[in-house]
Amino acid sequence: MLGPNGAGKSTLLKIVVGILRPTSGTVTVAGKDIAKEPESAKRVVGYLPENPSLYTGLTVKEFLSFVGKIRGVSDDLLRGRISEALTTFSLEEKTDALVGTLSKGMKQKVALIAATLHDPGVLVLDEPLTALDPRTQVFVNGWISSQRENGKSVLLSTHNLEIAQDHATQIAIIDKGSIIALGSLESLRKLAGSGKDARLDEVFLKLTKDAA
Amino acid sequence: MRLKLNSPSTVFTLIRYWMKGRFNRVTVIWMIMGEVFSVALVLFVGGTFLSFSSRFNLGPGLSYVGLSLLFALFLVGLIQSGFNGSGLPVSAADVEYVFTSPVPPSEIFAAKVLMNSFTTVLLSFPPILTLYLRLGSSYGTSPLAAVLAGIATLAFFVLGLFFSADITLSLNSGIGDRLKPVRNVVLVAVAAVSLLPLGVLIPGVPSIVAQAAGILPSGLAAEISYGLVSGARWSVGSLIDVVLLGAWFAILLSLGVRMSRRNFLEVLQINDQASDDGLQGAKVRSRLNTEGRPLWSVVRAKERIVMSRTKETRSLIINALFLSGFMVIYSLSGVFQSSPTSFLFVLFIIGSFGSGNATRWLEKERLWLIKTSAIDLKRYVREVFRARVTPLLLVLAPVAAAVGAPLLLEKANEPGSLLAIGLSLPSALEIASLMMAGGMYFAARYGQSSSDETLATQGQDLADVKRFLYQTVINLSLVAPLMGLVLGAAPLLGLIGDSSIFPVAMVLGAIGIVYTLGALDFILGEAGRSLETREDL
Repeated sequence: MLGPNGAGKSTLLKIVVGILRPTSGTVTVAGKDIAKEPESAKRVVGYLPENPSLYTGLTVKEFLSFVGKIRGVSDDLLRGRISEALTTFSLEEKTDALVGTLSKGMKQKVALIAATLHDPGVLVLDEPLTALDPRTQVFVNGWISSQRENGKSVLLSTHNLEIAQDHATQIAIIDKGSIIALGSLESLRKLAGSGKDARLDEVFLKLTKDAA
Repeated sequence: MRLKLNSPSTVFTLIRYWMKGRFNRVTVIWMIMGEVFSVALVLFVGGTFLSFSSRFNLGPGLSYVGLSLLFALFLVGLIQSGFNGSGLPVSAADVEYVFTSPVPPSEIFAAKVLMNSFTTVLLSFPPILTLYLRLGSSYGTSPLAAVLAGIATLAFFVLGLFFSADITLSLNSGIGDRLKPVRNVVLVAVAAVSLLPLGVLIPGVPSIVAQAAGILPSGLAAEISYGLVSGARWSVGSLIDVVLLGAWFAILLSLGVRMSRRNFLEVLQINDQASDDGLQGAKVRSRLNTEGRPLWSVVRAKERIVMSRTKETRSLIINALFLSGFMVIYSLSGVFQSSPTSFLFVLFIIGSFGSGNATRWLEKERLWLIKTSAIDLKRYVREVFRARVTPLLLVLAPVAAAVGAPLLLEKANEPGSLLAIGLSLPSALEIASLMMAGGMYFAARYGQSSSDETLATQGQDLADVKRFLYQTVINLSLVAPLMGLVLGAAPLLGLIGDSSIFPVAMVLGAIGIVYTLGALDFILGEAGRSLETREDL
């Protein structure tokens, strides 16, 4: 999902994960209506907010155990998943560190682990690379690719057009609360009247300019 | 010792913009409301103090004790904030724009001190003057004496700000673990000396003990202000008090000016609650064991751990100990007698703990985690409440017992009073629970949103004004039936007959419990519903 600041990307994502209620229309996640079957829908969605606020008074292990518990992960699975994820994200040494004492990049990694502990089929990531250092950006970028390769659907909002171009099979451009374009990069190029080699930034600028 | 300023206009420029940032239309409304509330509270407390002291022939001594304790509390708080690095409060914007500018630290210090002094005087003067005028009218002294006493008190307040700032400035690179024991010793020593005036209320304690508090600025300010409003004759001792207070003032100001010449900016702590919630130390032992435990037990355990790590439990216990000591000595002085007013006083003081505690419920900004899981929010709020109210009640129960034991013994032969006191003590805990639940409801319904900037600052401030007003009205409505129960107990027993005291106590006690459980269920359910429908998380 691409769009200018204030376009409504985060609002839409919050509706998808069940924080906000839609004023009209329906949202179906993995075949489940988030408004009618919120519990079933939430079980298959993992969410990373734009600025995740975590329980800073808990240690990393406590925080992840708590999140796993409220997401309904069984004790046996949870123990293994936390251990594996901490290794994958190179956070083993921070297991007993308070979340409030971690750097922003580490907090983002902890939030990403929290989003996947219940092994959701759908990941909703709101600007996952914002304010991360280049090394962490590369890591998170690779992690998103691996999630896709593992068969998860990833709904991602970003301002980074390169990331969108690399990852997206479908791109939605949102402006002023409406989706003004939706489709593959090729179909957006056609819609914008751009050439077949046009970069996404050119297409984006053209489409949002036309909408304005 | 002179404060050398390269450009005094810079100081006033800083003050002007800080003022603009601090006082907008909404904050002025807040200020006026706060002043009206403070004046009303001062009139109530002052009136209660005076009626107690005249009823039990304690004379103006009780006012002196009250003032001493009030000032001591202020001083201890400022010393603590000084050690915590917030003796000169700064915002993130100060750090990013003012500290990175070429303005010398001494000028920033001057601007901070002047602005803080000005706002302190502005906010404190109306209630203080009201208190002294009230006391003065009772003791037959002139309004001029009240004004002079007010000036002495304000000088102490400003001096306290210097004290706090000086401690912060002297820390160089922050307090560190090595200095923490020193800080604790200082705080305990100041608190201990500050409590000495309570000796006035205990028969047989020599007056010299109470006067020993005069080595602290709080004791000096209390003696001078109390002397003026009570119409005490001026003596050499009074003059020495004034000189000593002036000396404290001059020394603390000089120290601050001297220290501000070097770069002190790095020791200041940004007043940003969201940064780490007061957490200290990177490594702790993980205690939250979730394996094999039911979900709601984990939720409660999480809440308790967060409370203990953010020092919330510790501050709760310290406050309760202070309240407990105060109440015990107060009741030993014989102040709490059969008057229903005194029961109300106890109920409100103890019960208000619940509301204060709820204001530290920092959950909401993390509710995206809960809300995107499949768990029931209403049940979640109830479980969080259970976790938070348990330590509160465990701390308050001994306080209630400490206050109640001497009263119950004293009134053993007066069935009406005995019944009212007996009911008032559990009611205090019920009120604390209700006020906490009310506080959580308002935090859920109107609390600030964190992850979204849905409301502009002024809009959020207006929401806070509304919240404060609603919370006051709803909390009072919630506890009113319990207060009525206590106040109506003695007249009811008078109608039925003293011999029925036991069954009446059982019935009224049961009514209180049933009402409290019902009201808690309702208000916590509303809190959960509010969280479900809030759209600014």
